Amino acid sequence: MHELTPWLALIFRRPGRLVIGGALILATLLAGMGLLALSGWFITATALTGILLAAGVQASLNLYVPGGGIRFFAVARTVARYAERVYNHDTVLRLLTDIRVTLFKQLSVAGRKRRTQLRGPQWLSRLTSDVDALDTLYLRLIAPTALAALVTAMLLVAAWVVYQVELAIGLALVLIPAFLVATVAVYLRTRYLVYQQTDARERVRTDVIEHIEGFGELTAAGRTGKHAALCLRQAGQINRNEARADTRTGWNLGLSQVMVNLAVVLALWVGLALFQGGAISGPMVVLLPIALLGLQEIYSMLPDAFARLGGTLASAARLNQDCTAPAQDQRTDCKAPVDRDHALELDQVTIRFGDHAPVLSHFDFAVQKGQWVGIIGSSGAGKSSLAEVMAGLEQPASGTVRHIPAAYLTQKTVLFDDTLKANLLIGQPDASDAELWRVLELVAMSDRFVHEPAQLNTWLGSMGSQLSGGEARRIALARVLLNEAPLLILDEPFTGVDTHTRASIATGMKQWLEGRTVISLGHAPEALPASDRTIRLS
Amino acid sequence: MVEQAVARRWLGGLSAHSRPLILATVSAGVVVGIATIVQMALLAGIVHQGIVEKVPVDELSLLFTGAIAAILIRGVAQGLQARYAARCSRTVRSEVRHQINRCWQASGPVAIGQTSAGTLAREWLDHTDALHGYFARFLPQMMLAVIVPMIILVVVFSLDWLAGVFLLLSAPLIPLFMALVGMGAEKLNQQHFQTIGRLSGQFLDKVRGLTTLQLFGQTAPAAETLRKRSDDYRRITMKTLKIAFLSSAVLEFFSSVAIAVVAIYIGFGLLGYISFGPAGELTLFSGLLILLLAPEFFQPLRLLSQHYHDRAAAMGASAEIVDRLQNGDPAGEPAEPAHQPESPDIIAIRDVSLAYDIARPILDRVSLVINQGDVIALTGPSGGGKSSLLYLLAGFMQPDHGHILVFGDRPGEQTFGWLGQSPFLVHGTWADNLRLTTPGATDIAIETALHHVGLEGLLSSRKRGIYSAITEDGQGLSGGQARRLSLARVFVANYDLILLDEPTAGLDSDSEIYVLEALHKLAQAGKTLVFATHHQALLTLANRTLLVTEGGVRDA
Repeated sequence: MHELTPWLALIFRRPGRLVIGGALILATLLAGMGLLALSGWFITATALTGILLAAGVQASLNLYVPGGGIRFFAVARTVARYAERVYNHDTVLRLLTDIRVTLFKQLSVAGRKRRTQLRGPQWLSRLTSDVDALDTLYLRLIAPTALAALVTAMLLVAAWVVYQVELAIGLALVLIPAFLVATVAVYLRTRYLVYQQTDARERVRTDVIEHIEGFGELTAAGRTGKHAALCLRQAGQINRNEARADTRTGWNLGLSQVMVNLAVVLALWVGLALFQGGAISGPMVVLLPIALLGLQEIYSMLPDAFARLGGTLASAARLNQDCTAPAQDQRTDCKAPVDRDHALELDQVTIRFGDHAPVLSHFDFAVQKGQWVGIIGSSGAGKSSLAEVMAGLEQPASGTVRHIPAAYLTQKTVLFDDTLKANLLIGQPDASDAELWRVLELVAMSDRFVHEPAQLNTWLGSMGSQLSGGEARRIALARVLLNEAPLLILDEPFTGVDTHTRASIATGMKQWLEGRTVISLGHAPEALPASDRTIRLS
Repeated sequence: MVEQAVARRWLGGLSAHSRPLILATVSAGVVVGIATIVQMALLAGIVHQGIVEKVPVDELSLLFTGAIAAILIRGVAQGLQARYAARCSRTVRSEVRHQINRCWQASGPVAIGQTSAGTLAREWLDHTDALHGYFARFLPQMMLAVIVPMIILVVVFSLDWLAGVFLLLSAPLIPLFMALVGMGAEKLNQQHFQTIGRLSGQFLDKVRGLTTLQLFGQTAPAAETLRKRSDDYRRITMKTLKIAFLSSAVLEFFSSVAIAVVAIYIGFGLLGYISFGPAGELTLFSGLLILLLAPEFFQPLRLLSQHYHDRAAAMGASAEIVDRLQNGDPAGEPAEPAHQPESPDIIAIRDVSLAYDIARPILDRVSLVINQGDVIALTGPSGGGKSSLLYLLAGFMQPDHGHILVFGDRPGEQTFGWLGQSPFLVHGTWADNLRLTTPGATDIAIETALHHVGLEGLLSSRKRGIYSAITEDGQGLSGGQARRLSLARVFVANYDLILLDEPTAGLDSDSEIYVLEALHKLAQAGKTLVFATHHQALLTLANRTLLVTEGGVRDA
């Protein structure tokens, strides 16, 4: 359960909302119980009075109080239900925001290693489902459980005060196990079935993706049937576990309802005995059993929520791990170069992955301030790794990197689902609109946006989907150019940009970056702006 | 809307398939309903006997036993309902996965390759699972929401028809009520999922670009944007939700008011204040029973509205699955059955035509004979039909006209070696990767095959040899190494025919040499090799070069 602690702390940061929301649910439940119990009381009372009247006995019954009460409960139930749904939905959406913002903040300080280790899109889809699992924790689990316990306690106290203590104890002996059967028992019985489900799903997904990617090979070898059967078997296993968890949840729900109903029977039995002993009036006999029938509504919400608890815990554990990934690969504050004239110094740097042969070994390299350096290497020669090490995103296997503050254009173009302006301002938050237009001019993108109705506020869409690859690249380049860092590291700055535009941008960059140091990396000299010095990786 | 109708029909077909389990689920639900009615009747009877007739509690033990029995039956039926529902959903999902698999199988590798593997995997896994709620919850509840209230109505009418009319009026017509519930719920779900989708989108977008934000030190402002956006979405969503929730409030209102009206009517009837209708015959038993049944009358409807989003989810998912199943254009049977038996030593292509676009056939009445042991290079402009010819030889596609026999059999009937343009690796060890196509390969055969493609150096650096994982420490194989691994599969398998599509395209010079050598060894071993290529070294390896262009194939 400790996995949930940070998330529970987050949820309970809004105690006022939670209490009000819980109180509204409680009002809904009590109004429903009250409506039925009072109606039952009323019918019994009128039946008894009616018999007396029919026998010619003088009898009277105050009709206004119970009649008014019934009407009040009927309206209160509707109003409370509506208010509860609106209010609590608002709370859920607020919690949703809290959880995402907090998670984002934590991810942004956690190590980068885990993010790159896990496969991108798969990690993101897993992250989505894990966060979703936490969203409804309050409304599904916390509030119903707390209220079920509260209402049970209220009924027990009522039984004690109005009826007799023995009845209260008897009811407690039935209702407390019913509560446990609907909650803890469900969790314990489904825990191991659901805990591994997400991992199992991701394994099947990998297998299915491989099945499709290798469809040609598998068909040729006559193995599609066998391999598909493997995937089907795995998926079948997952579904079997789900079905088993569902069935167990169903049995627990059934059992807890049986116990609540037995409590009803018990209350009725004792009530009748008390009535016939003259301790309570006839209408009072039905009051408690009918109120107890109302408990079914609350208890029926619990098993399903507890069946998911195992999965929620697994989600929370994974998110916690994402957030607390070892920070040793943090972008450390880079040391300044030893030689004041140098913008960057690599000292005996070795870059390697695991036990593979190093991509680069004992590499010495220095760049003078103001120098433009081109680094050329074929794909797989370790260009991007070198760029990441120089930018401080990765640590070299050995050796040291020292440089002045740097801006880095990653090989992958990253644009956000936001406006053009917001995307550019990431590079330089206090840049003026005029500056933004100037840099857009430089990357030959101002014409593209000057005719858009929203101009700088044009929405770029997720991953910059409104733009072609080359256009998106130029926006990413413009963002780096806006940054005032004295050193720029550009990995394949012109991907997807045609030769003509490339040349004009390169010329513009010379002026714009006057006096700054630029290290650009690419697969061929023509992919880079003109350099004072070019080195080749092999 | 057409898609909706098609999706609904498909779902209908699936439910017909698993009818026994659905019926079992519904039957169990009906038993729950009946047991509830019996339980309530016995409880009302006990109250009547104990209070009005003054029967001592001890003499009511028969009624008490009956009530307990009804409660137990109700609990067992509830458990069984969950069990059948779970089993039904499981069978349906398994059936759907088999359907999709058969569709893939019929479409063949070429058609499959048109869609990203991630998308197909999502359909197979996630969309199929989205059917769960529909079959386990919504569909049975839909029937129960009609049957159980009907039974209750009959009981109430038999007790006091006026009270029955009150219930009936409060739910004027059950179908109308259900439509109301449905519309509200549908709207609500759309809104809810849209908002969550947008929120998640914003969140994921920021996470995806986290490195960029970190590089510019902009993570804090990004978190602020995220919060602001989320808050805006929340405000907009809440406006619509306030209206959407009204529909459930209406249901709640009707059921509460119905209970209140029934209770007051019964009370006044029992007092003898109502002189018309059946009110005079009311007793504490009938009055209390009607009251206890009133909430049960509305309960199935309430459950149905809770399960409504299951229907929306299933409709969305099935629309996409159906789309795939229908467009999963089967590769089709051969246009003409092979008339003449051909020699089992040759690959015979007789009068074969193929066109994606009728006006411009890719292959037009091509006839060709390839002898066993030939090394054939297919060359020609891209889009000229080299790959198509390979697909036909592989049986991945069927010709529009003519027929092909590979060593006396239809293409694809005998196993053969295939090396596509993109290399194919599975997560796992080197041995897993080679045994994927040849499950019985010995360790020695695997090592030899890897040796043939020049991967033994890489292998010897791994601690556990062929049993070490291919990807370690996040570092996989280079493109060339992956291609060579794919080629090694051909070596372990001992196929007679090997088809290769651009086997050296995009390779570094090291890998290129290894691939050339490996192909040379295969040729020397007497295998029949057919490859599409532009590569000069490969052309010289061939003993026959064919130019595939403008619908024809001729020796170059």
